[in-house]
Amino acid sequence: MGLLNRRFRAAFPCAVFLLFFTLFPLAFAAESPPEADYRSFFGINSRLVVWIVAELHLMYGAFVLGVPIFAVIVEYIGKRSKDPKYDNLAREFTKLLAAAFSTTAALGGLLAFSLIGLYPKFMGYLTSVFHESYYVYALLFFAESFTLYLYYYSWDRLQGKWKGLHIFLGILLNVWGTLLMLIANSWASFMMSPAGIDKETGRFLGSTLAAVANPLWIPLAIHRFLGNIAFGGLIAGAYAAVKFLGARSEAEKAHYDWMGYVGNFVAMAALISMPFAGYYLGREVYSASPVMGNNMMGGAFSWTFILQAILIGALFIGANYYLWIGMGRIAGAERYLKYIKYINLILLVCFAIWLTPHNLPLSAAEQLAIGGQYHPILKWLGLMSAKNAVVNFIILSTFFSFLLYRRGNKGRPLPFTEHGTTAKVVLLAVGVVCFLFLGAYGWHLFTLDPATMELSPDKARYFKFPALLLLIEIVAILAAIGLTFINRGIYGQALLFAVTAASAVFALGIYGFVIMEKANPFLRNVAVSQFLLVISCLITNTFIDIFLFKGAEEIGGIRWGKMPIRSQYTLIFLCIMIVLLMGLMGYIRSGLRENWHVYGIMQDLSDGSYTPTMAYMARVVGSIVLIFLTSIAFVFWLAGLGGEKTPAPDLASIAGGTEGEKKR
Amino acid sequence: MKRPFLSASIFTFVVIFLFIYVGEVLTRISGEAVRSPIIEGSTAGVSPELGEAIFWGKGACYTCHSIGGRGSAIRGPNLGEIGPLKMPIGARAVLRAQERAKQGKPMAAVDYLVESLAEPGAYVVEGFKNEMPIIWRPPIRLKPDEIKAVVAYIQSQGGTVDVAAIENSPFFQKLKATAATAGAGVSEAWRPYIQGDPKLGDDLFFNPESPAGCGKCHTVGKKGEKVGPELTHLAATRTPQFILEAILEPSKEIASGFDSVLLQTKDGHFISGIIKQEDAASMTVADSQGQLQKVAKAEIAERVPQKVSLMPGNFGEILTVKDLHDLLAFLTTLK
Repeated sequence: MGLLNRRFRAAFPCAVFLLFFTLFPLAFAAESPPEADYRSFFGINSRLVVWIVAELHLMYGAFVLGVPIFAVIVEYIGKRSKDPKYDNLAREFTKLLAAAFSTTAALGGLLAFSLIGLYPKFMGYLTSVFHESYYVYALLFFAESFTLYLYYYSWDRLQGKWKGLHIFLGILLNVWGTLLMLIANSWASFMMSPAGIDKETGRFLGSTLAAVANPLWIPLAIHRFLGNIAFGGLIAGAYAAVKFLGARSEAEKAHYDWMGYVGNFVAMAALISMPFAGYYLGREVYSASPVMGNNMMGGAFSWTFILQAILIGALFIGANYYLWIGMGRIAGAERYLKYIKYINLILLVCFAIWLTPHNLPLSAAEQLAIGGQYHPILKWLGLMSAKNAVVNFIILSTFFSFLLYRRGNKGRPLPFTEHGTTAKVVLLAVGVVCFLFLGAYGWHLFTLDPATMELSPDKARYFKFPALLLLIEIVAILAAIGLTFINRGIYGQALLFAVTAASAVFALGIYGFVIMEKANPFLRNVAVSQFLLVISCLITNTFIDIFLFKGAEEIGGIRWGKMPIRSQYTLIFLCIMIVLLMGLMGYIRSGLRENWHVYGIMQDLSDGSYTPTMAYMARVVGSIVLIFLTSIAFVFWLAGLGGEKTPAPDLASIAGGTEGEKKR
Repeated sequence: MKRPFLSASIFTFVVIFLFIYVGEVLTRISGEAVRSPIIEGSTAGVSPELGEAIFWGKGACYTCHSIGGRGSAIRGPNLGEIGPLKMPIGARAVLRAQERAKQGKPMAAVDYLVESLAEPGAYVVEGFKNEMPIIWRPPIRLKPDEIKAVVAYIQSQGGTVDVAAIENSPFFQKLKATAATAGAGVSEAWRPYIQGDPKLGDDLFFNPESPAGCGKCHTVGKKGEKVGPELTHLAATRTPQFILEAILEPSKEIASGFDSVLLQTKDGHFISGIIKQEDAASMTVADSQGQLQKVAKAEIAERVPQKVSLMPGNFGEILTVKDLHDLLAFLTTLK
C-alpha cells in the first residue's frame, strides 16, 4: 500500500503534465468547429470557473513553494545543532508537501484546460507571446517533481556524511520552485503590464524575454515569494494545531506545539517584510499605469483594501496574541507580560487608523452632523501618510513583541566583550551595510533635483528633513552598536527602537501631511525613507539580540505542550486569515485589469467583463477558501493513511527542553 | 470523526462566514451596491449631466481630481473653489488660457479645458506631476463625444456651458482626428449589434427590387453583375467591421481598379462611372446602375478622376438596422 501510494504520488503530477502538453497543441491545431472567442462551462459562468480553479491552484502552489524554503532551513539547523528533532520536523513539513504536490499539478492542468476551453482567443494570444516559456516551464516542472520525490524518499538514505547532499537537494528543490514561480508570474504580470509588444496594435515584437521582463514581474515575484513562505508557515501551523488538539500524550502535544510555534515564527518573519514588498508592488503598479494605480487605491478597488487591512490586522494581532500566550510556557517570561497591554493598545490603535476610510458616502444629514464631507479629525487618518506611519508602527511593535518572547527565559546576558571575533565583525558589518544604504539614500534626497518630479526648485527644501532623519538613524545605529561593544547592548536596542519610532512613525508620519500639501510627488520618497529606517532598525536589533543572548544564563526551560486550547485555535484562525487574504489579493490583482485580458491591449468582451461587488467577491472567495481548507485537510489525511511512518521525533526532549533548544 | 477536527471545522465555518458578512457590510457602507451603470456618450447625448456621470464613473477622473468637497482624490488639482487660484475650474480656465497665451500659445478658456483633457502634458499645474493618462487611449478610451461631455461638465463648474464652442475648438478637432486613427491593439474585437439572417441577406443582395440590390453591380459566384468588385470570397480576406464600413461609407476606401471617373463630352454632357474597358479610340463606362455606355475619346472634352465611390453612399439611410445585419450576415458567409 505504501509503495503503491508512493509510486502513484510520484507519477501522478508527471502524468498530468504529459497529458497537458500533449493536448495543449491539439487545442489550437483543431480546424473545426470555427474558433469561438468565449465559451461557457456547461452553462456556468466561465469567469467564475476560472476564478475558482486559478485561486485553488495558486493556494496549493503557494503551499508547495513556501514549505520547502523553511523545511530545508530547519533541516540545516538540525545538521548544525545535531539535534534530531529539527530533522524530524523538516521531514514532517516535507511529508505535507509531497502530499499536496500532486493536487497542485492536477489543479494546474485543470486551470490550463479551463483557460484553453473557455477563453480560446485570449489563450491563443498569450500562447503566441509566451509559447517558448511553456517548454521551459514544463522542463522545470519535471525537475521540480523529480527533485521533490528524491528529496523526500531519500531522507533515510542520505543521513550522516550524506546529509550535506540531502540539504543540497532541498536547496535545488527551492531553485526549481522559484524559477517555476518566476515563469508563471511573468504570464500574470504581463497581463497587468504588457511589454515586448507594439502598444498600438498589440502585435508581439518577437522577444519572449522582453515580454517576460515586464515592469511588474519582479515586484510581483518578491511579494509572492514572501507570501508563499507566510502561507506555508501558517498552513503547517494549523496542521500542527489540529494534531495538537487530537494528541493523546504529553510528548505528542509537545511536538505539535513546537511545530505550530515554528510555523507561526516562519510566517511572522515573512509577514513583517510583506508591507514593504506590497508597497514596492503598489508603487510599480502606479508607475506602470497611473490609471490602474488610482483605480487600486482611489477607485473601484479602494474599499477592498479596507477588507485587506482587516485581514492583515487580524493576522498581526493574532500572531502577537499567540506569542503572548506562548510566554505562559516559558519560565521567566512573566517579567515581560506587563508590556503586552501597551503593545496590544498600539496594535489596536494602529489598525483602527489603517481601517479608516478616507471617503464615505454620506447623506446630507450625516454631512451636516459632522460638518462636511469629512470628519474634522478622522479625515486625516484616511490619508496615505497616516497609513504609512501606522504600518511601520505595527511592524516595530510586532518585532518588539517577538524580542520579548525570545528573551522570555533568558537571564542576564553574557558581556559582549566575552564573545569571539565573529560577533564583533558581524555587528560592524551590519553597521557598515546600514550606513551605506541609509547614507546613499540620504545623499540622494539631499541632492535630489525637484525638476525630476516636475516640482519648482524651491521645493527642494522639503527633501532635507527626511535626509536629516536618515543621518540621525545612522548615528543611532552606530551608537547602538557602540553600546553593545561596551556591554550595554539592551540600552542600545532601546535607543534604536526609540529613535526609529520617533523618526519613521511620528516625525515622517506627520511630515507626510506637509508633503501631501506642498510637494505631493515626493511622498513616495518619504515612504521609502520610512522603510529604510524601520528595516535598518530590525536588522541591527536582530543581530544585537542574537549576540546579546547567545550563551546567556537561563531562568527556566520552555515547557512545550503546555499551551491552552485557545492558542491552537489562534493558529487555525491565522491559517484561515492568510488563506482568505491570499484569495482576496488574488481577486484584487486580477480584478485591477477590469475589462481587459491584457491591460490596454486585449479587451475582455466576455459576459464576465465587469467588476463585481465586494459582497459577491466575499462569497466567492469565502467558498474557495472553504474548498481549499477542506481539500487540503483531506490531502493531509490521505498522506497519513498509507505512507511510511515518520520516525518518531525525540518527543521527550522537546517536552523537557533540550540543550539544542536552550542554545536556540 | 474526531471531536477536535469537528470543532476546528465549525470554527473555520464561523470565521469564513464572518468574512462574507464583512464583505456584505462593506458593500453597503461603501455605496458599491448602488454603483451607477456606465453611460455611453453615443446614446445619451452630449450634456454636463453625461459628463458628470463619466467624470465620476467610466472616465475615472475622480480617482485623481476632487471637485470642492466632493471626492477625496488629491493626485490632481481640485477642480472646485478650493483648488488652485481659489476658483472653480470653469472660471479658472479663463486665467489659465491667458497664462497659456503669455507662453506663446493663444487660446480661449474652452481651448484650455479641451487641451487639458486631450494633451494633458502640454500644461502641468505647478505642484503636480505630468502623469495624467491620455484618456482617449486604452485603458480609459473615452470617445470624442464623451470627452466633449466631460468638458461641458467642468465648464459648468463656475463657467458657462457651451457645447458648440467645444466642438469648434481646434484642439477638439485635432483630438477627433487623432482619436479616430488611434489603434487599440487587439482590443478592437468587433461584434454586430444584432444577429442577422444570411438567407434574408441573400435575398437583399440579389433581388433587384430590394433596397440593397447589390447584385446589380457585384458578382458572387456566377450570379450578379461585374460593375463593382467581385465578392465571392469577400469574408475570407475582410473582417465584418470592414465590410460594414464599406457598405456605409463606400468612398472611405475604394478597391483598386474601381475608381470612378467623371467625363465631360464636347457637347456638354456629363458621364460618371467606372471605366470597364479602354482603348485608343474609345472607353466603356459602367454607371451606378450597372448600365454600360461606350464613349468615343474624340468626343471627350475633360476627364476628371473622382475620389467618391460610384457605389451609393446612402445605404445607412435606406436600409433598416435589421436589413443591414441580414446583409452583413450573408456577406460574412462568403469565404
